[in-house]
Amino acid sequence: MSEEKKFDRGSALSIFGSDRKEDFVALILALVIAFGVFVSY
Amino acid sequence: MVYTKKSPALLVIGIIMLAIWFMADSGALSGYIEHLGGKKYKYLAELTTLPLYFGVLSVLIGGWQLFGTHSEGQWDYFSSAIAGAMFILIIAMMVRWFVAPEVAVVSKMMGKVGDTGKYIHKLLGLNYVVIGIVVGIVTVNVFRVPEWAENGVRLSRLGLKTGVILLGTLYSAAELKNLGGLSIIMIGFFVLGSVGIVLWMGARMKIPNSMGGVLSAGMGVCGVSATVAAAPVVQAKSVEIAYTIGTILLWGVGCMFIFPVVGNLLGMNYVQFGAWAGTGILNSAQVAGAALAFQPDGIETLKVAEIFNITRVLVLPIIVIWLAVWYVKREESVTETVNVGRVIFEKFPVFVIGFILLFALSSTGIFAPANHYKGKYFGNTAESGFKESKLLKADKIAVLSAEINKIQRQDRKTAVQNLIDNGKVMSIEDDDALRGLVNAKVLSKDANKILKGAHKAVRHTAKKIKAFRNWITWLFAFGLVGLGMQITMSAMKQAGGQPAIIGAVVGTLKAVLSLVVVMMFVSGSI
Repeated sequence: MSEEKKFDRGSALSIFGSDRKEDFVALILALVIAFGVFVSY
Repeated sequence: MVYTKKSPALLVIGIIMLAIWFMADSGALSGYIEHLGGKKYKYLAELTTLPLYFGVLSVLIGGWQLFGTHSEGQWDYFSSAIAGAMFILIIAMMVRWFVAPEVAVVSKMMGKVGDTGKYIHKLLGLNYVVIGIVVGIVTVNVFRVPEWAENGVRLSRLGLKTGVILLGTLYSAAELKNLGGLSIIMIGFFVLGSVGIVLWMGARMKIPNSMGGVLSAGMGVCGVSATVAAAPVVQAKSVEIAYTIGTILLWGVGCMFIFPVVGNLLGMNYVQFGAWAGTGILNSAQVAGAALAFQPDGIETLKVAEIFNITRVLVLPIIVIWLAVWYVKREESVTETVNVGRVIFEKFPVFVIGFILLFALSSTGIFAPANHYKGKYFGNTAESGFKESKLLKADKIAVLSAEINKIQRQDRKTAVQNLIDNGKVMSIEDDDALRGLVNAKVLSKDANKILKGAHKAVRHTAKKIKAFRNWITWLFAFGLVGLGMQITMSAMKQAGGQPAIIGAVVGTLKAVLSLVVVMMFVSGSI
């Protein structure tokens, strides 16, 4: 787990503090993309 | 700590992207594109747009990162990830547009492999997905990820999760009705079976309960996320979590390469392979990798695999409860009280809820007609997209009329008669009957070709769904290249010892048994 020491925030696998935060960001990103596709096509 | 590195790297990435765009747009690459497939080369539209957008973005942000002043804070932390994200993206671009097509050219020059009738790159699944992951693994283990890119590489899982959520737009209730029952039965059997076998073997081999518990969740449900979710329930130590993740990654990487080869050798169809990969492979990302490796130019396999994968994720709360009860029973010395309800509430992956939300939206018909199936829908009127020029001509009607008496089944005969009378497919039921007739190979090749043409004429792809497919493909390509960059030799070595033996036995059993079940009971085609 030496990679974890490189960052004082997030984990070795994610820049977000928890899986839950990452999930929410993914959700918001997906909804933004979905809205963009909905209005553009 | 200040995360933004004063490196010219992002600026250089932006300039390279702009150079690619300029050469593609000006025609300077036309000779090379001709070599890569000419008219069959499918990425020209992407080549003349994407590098321009991302190139401009990278040059602007790269210039600011190099020449600006930076101080610690939220903005510094998150904006510094852009360099790593662009690093992954340019690798994904190079692999998708140039390296993978070049591998295909070389493979085709070598000819088809024996009796398989397939080229070696198809058999080995050497497409942009697999090559991208390999490039990621080589990058991290041989060259190491550059310091300026380290923060951004941690965005790859976000890309995968966003891709999984957007996959919900491709499904409709009608589709789940076809696949849901099968996936629930198969997943229920194999997930619960895998968890049970790992717990039993763990007890026999006397590994700690916490190790066995966390490994069973990882092997049974959905890899890394399940491991993380189950860890607090069985009070797993960090080294045990690392062991489990190492085992899952090592096993999953092997499966990701082997499954497509076996799938091709056995001539599996999209539904069969998707069901097998979604059941037999452990980690969501590797399920996606194998599905895309099996079918790099389409998304049908991925969609089936993801349905199975999502079904598996939905079993997670049941496994968490099971493990909690199992652990509390076995450990007499448990001192810390574990609140199972709270663990489920805190650990249940929200991105799965996002997938279900977009699936619900898609089922209402806002992205495509509500009855769409894999983004495609039936329409035999001008309003729904049918072109009058696609009406069957007299010569084709004559071919069908001459062969109609070969057909025994009444529904198929009626469908062909309706087609002859109207020059087009008249209903979804007729369309299904005609597709079944083609699969049954009752009629001549010419007649089947006409039936396939009639089917295509009434099947339309929604533009919105097509756009979603592109987004999903890129998000997965991005996520999987980044995933490769996280597979270090030390993580793989951590899978050694007994957990690896248990993992290998259970993984092999699951893969072989699910293959047998799929080949025996799953026969649906796209």
